[in-house]
Amino acid sequence: MSATLNKGPRASAMWSRIAIYVVILVFAAFFLAPLAVTILTSVRSNTEMAQRSLIGWPQHLDLSNFAVAWGSFCIAEHCTGIAPYMYNSAVMAIPATILSTLLGAMAGYAIALWRFRGDNIMFGLVVLGVFLPEQMRLIPWTVVLRDTGLANSLAGLIMIHTIQGVSFTTLFCRNYYLSIPQDLMKAARIDGAGFYRIFWRIVLPLSPPILIVTVIWQFTGIWNEFLFGVIFTSGTQQPITAALVALGSGGQNVHAYNVAAAAVLIGAFPPLLVYFLGGKYFVRGLTQGAIK
Amino acid sequence: MSFLSRRGFLAGTATAVVANGAVAPRVLADIKPRVTVISQWSAGSDGTAISAFGKLFEQNGGIWQHNPVPGFTTEMMNKLRAQIMSGDPPAASQLKGPEIAAWSKVAPTNNLDSLVADADYEKFVAPDLAKLHKPFGHWIALPLQLYRINTLFASKKAMDKVGATKLPTTWAEFNALSEKMKAAGIIPLANGGIRWDDGMKWEIALNGISPAAYRKAVMELDAATLMGPEVLAAFEQTRKLADGMNPNIAAQNWGVQVAPFIRGEMGMVLMGGWAQGNIINGGFTLDDFMSGPAPQDNGKAAYIMNADAFIFWKQKAEDLQAGQQLMAKLIMQASTQKMYSQITGSIPVRTDADLSGPGWSEGQRNSAASLKAAVAANQVMLSLAHNMAQPNQISAAMIDVLTEFVHNRDLAPKKAQQRLADAIDSER
Amino acid sequence: MLFTLWTAWISFTPSTLMPENGFVGFKNYASVMATRNFSVAYTNVVVFGFCFVALTTIMGLLLAILLDQRVRGESVLRTIFLYPMAVSFVVTGTIWSWLLNPGFGIQQLVRDLGWTEFRFDWLIDRDRAIYTLVIAAAWQASGFAMALFLAGLRSVDPEIVKAAQIDGAGPARIYRRVVLPSMGPIFIAVMVILLQNAIKTFDLVRALTGGGPGIATNLPATVVYDLMFQRGQLGRGSAAAVLMLLTLAIILIPYALYQRFRRTRA
Repeated sequence: MSATLNKGPRASAMWSRIAIYVVILVFAAFFLAPLAVTILTSVRSNTEMAQRSLIGWPQHLDLSNFAVAWGSFCIAEHCTGIAPYMYNSAVMAIPATILSTLLGAMAGYAIALWRFRGDNIMFGLVVLGVFLPEQMRLIPWTVVLRDTGLANSLAGLIMIHTIQGVSFTTLFCRNYYLSIPQDLMKAARIDGAGFYRIFWRIVLPLSPPILIVTVIWQFTGIWNEFLFGVIFTSGTQQPITAALVALGSGGQNVHAYNVAAAAVLIGAFPPLLVYFLGGKYFVRGLTQGAIK
Repeated sequence: MSFLSRRGFLAGTATAVVANGAVAPRVLADIKPRVTVISQWSAGSDGTAISAFGKLFEQNGGIWQHNPVPGFTTEMMNKLRAQIMSGDPPAASQLKGPEIAAWSKVAPTNNLDSLVADADYEKFVAPDLAKLHKPFGHWIALPLQLYRINTLFASKKAMDKVGATKLPTTWAEFNALSEKMKAAGIIPLANGGIRWDDGMKWEIALNGISPAAYRKAVMELDAATLMGPEVLAAFEQTRKLADGMNPNIAAQNWGVQVAPFIRGEMGMVLMGGWAQGNIINGGFTLDDFMSGPAPQDNGKAAYIMNADAFIFWKQKAEDLQAGQQLMAKLIMQASTQKMYSQITGSIPVRTDADLSGPGWSEGQRNSAASLKAAVAANQVMLSLAHNMAQPNQISAAMIDVLTEFVHNRDLAPKKAQQRLADAIDSER
Repeated sequence: MLFTLWTAWISFTPSTLMPENGFVGFKNYASVMATRNFSVAYTNVVVFGFCFVALTTIMGLLLAILLDQRVRGESVLRTIFLYPMAVSFVVTGTIWSWLLNPGFGIQQLVRDLGWTEFRFDWLIDRDRAIYTLVIAAAWQASGFAMALFLAGLRSVDPEIVKAAQIDGAGPARIYRRVVLPSMGPIFIAVMVILLQNAIKTFDLVRALTGGGPGIATNLPATVVYDLMFQRGQLGRGSAAAVLMLLTLAIILIPYALYQRFRRTRA
């Protein structure tokens, strides 16, 4: 409802506009503060941080941290920087995002548009998956990976993230598809279209807004996941979060906060990009019924 | 004879033939020793040291497959659990203290007795430490490096300001010095804010008051000693320490205070030997601080020990078995331990190590000398806060109480002592 | 779902480092509930959950209404408010622990600017540290709440708003009387999502307070993880987890009933 609410005398309208901007800017400052600190940290030197303070204005601009973070920082004997870990995360997050979105779309479609016996119970079970903390799923997943022979592989992680993601994507898609008129379905069925045909021809073309929502949600979630990523992979297969934590936690007595900050900025780039590109559609997709 | 046992018998014979027969050299020559290793050492000097060890392993003809698990120790344990459950334990993994015994019940480990005997190694290991690594009579794990927990560091500038020239050697002296520092506007203790840090303060206090009580209360969980006067005194001393801490540390590592400590705004640090690395890494020199043992009221050297170790899991593949043997041999060597400790700032496990040469710091020499003296005085203790004295569930329950005590001034020492005893009872 | 049943089963076994078979009845439940950690964590999750959901909802709604006033640069602002969601707490938690640290964070920075009496030391205050978790968590989640509310605001029928305007209602009145009441379902959705977030909060505690000062900021999720994996007590950890899920169920069942009620009415 972007209807203009600024009626009334012009002067007071102007003042209220100013007030709006001031409040927004204060909030923006609050939201940006941690980012600002990260950026400042990423261009300082370690000695400077140890001798002065963790938070502070850089005395000298030290841009080398970015090069070190990207290409030469050592995680034990692997002196490769975070580049290969970024690659691992991409290899893991992209297929898992696509698969979980597609499966969620189909499941949501089936639940929303093909009323079948027990559909609500089915939906309830799927949604319950959303509420289970991931720490509790650690050991069961270990068993599943062992039994499927996918332990210590990115394929195993893709499987986990796909299955776990389906709960969320189904929830989103089902709510969205509820707004598709049943008449459309009936017409299609009279024309002799089956389950898959209707999905591909009618439902999917209507879906982009909600698919963007689920893609953003899934991609950022998977990209930032740490626990499974570090436990279910080995050595050079580890995802970006494992590298970031390795950098951030340091050893008993050496903390390369500056390089870690640079790595955080680089590592956060893909999800930020997704948000920036998809932000507009995110709200639009939600508007069109993701939250019924 | 059933099929299974017959196969086992045949395999046994085959191994015996390989081990003793003429074919052995040829077969073994084809095998390149290989190890798969899990540790949490990924960054900083820990990362550098384990990488150097890996290189050494490769120079000796092996294939080094290290899998660092960054983050908290729990993540590494989870990784280990996942590997064991998948029937694929690593050849060696980082593990310490009583957890070695606990985990060895979960999956089969390698018996290292003959290797230890071949190297004539046992006599160079402090007996209390050796016990942890041969929990059921056999060596299944090997310690790699040691740190002294009860180490006192003092800021040169702060000491100058209050006119002190030497480190306090008893708690009375320590408390007097603290008061002097307070009066001069100096925060007496630069501490960390993480829970094990709080536990450490208490264990250093108790050990300083009475190593005998420490052994009974912490290592043997003797109920009477836990409720006795020494433990109460340790709580009271811990309260004094807490009153002298920088309240603004929150959950940071003590190392964020290196600068104010060296500048003389904070007086002392009670920390393991690795704290020296924090200071040097901050760009300061050995002249900026003094270090030595923490206060010890009975005047004899006592040593609270923290040790890192590797446990060796049973392997079927021959190259992994060969790799384990090579790795164990290397760990026991004096030269390896020297290389490792010089990188991390710890001291070697071997009590016969010679720390007189270059590459060692005064702090490391002091630590090694006091270990020798403590072994002689039978005053080597195992650290509670660093999970050396008790299995994790008991350590954690005890540290719950200790960390609350440090942060809650309203909790009386007497009451905290009772809570500690209760917490232990609930875990027995 | 299977995983939940599995956890429930383990909670009745004597499992320690590894899952084991056997049956010990409610022993694990009894010992978990007797610990101070557990009672502290449960009190905390109530306080934290309530404050976090309330603050995030209010901030999200406020931001959505502000952005809805046809402000310039909406897409940039929206990105600013949403970006915390794109970055994991595993990393941003560290930065928050610096900012909130009274020694060198916001308190010190403000003092350096001249207000030497300024105090903001909740992080080291046993009774207030839990609110620092609320601040950081709200920072992360309110962008999401904003997006949902913004979506809701934009889907309100413009005709109704126009009608209200013709009746001479001012902006505040229109929001209060016309717009917000029509967004009931969105409020519920936002709150449920935030609530499950609150109950699952884990990384934040680890990065920001480490559960301290003392054990003052432990939450059920950290206690569960700690029991299962740090203390090697899978049985007790599972018992704590089941208790946590039961708490969730107490909140979710009324929600499910409400949904059903709404559907039958529609």
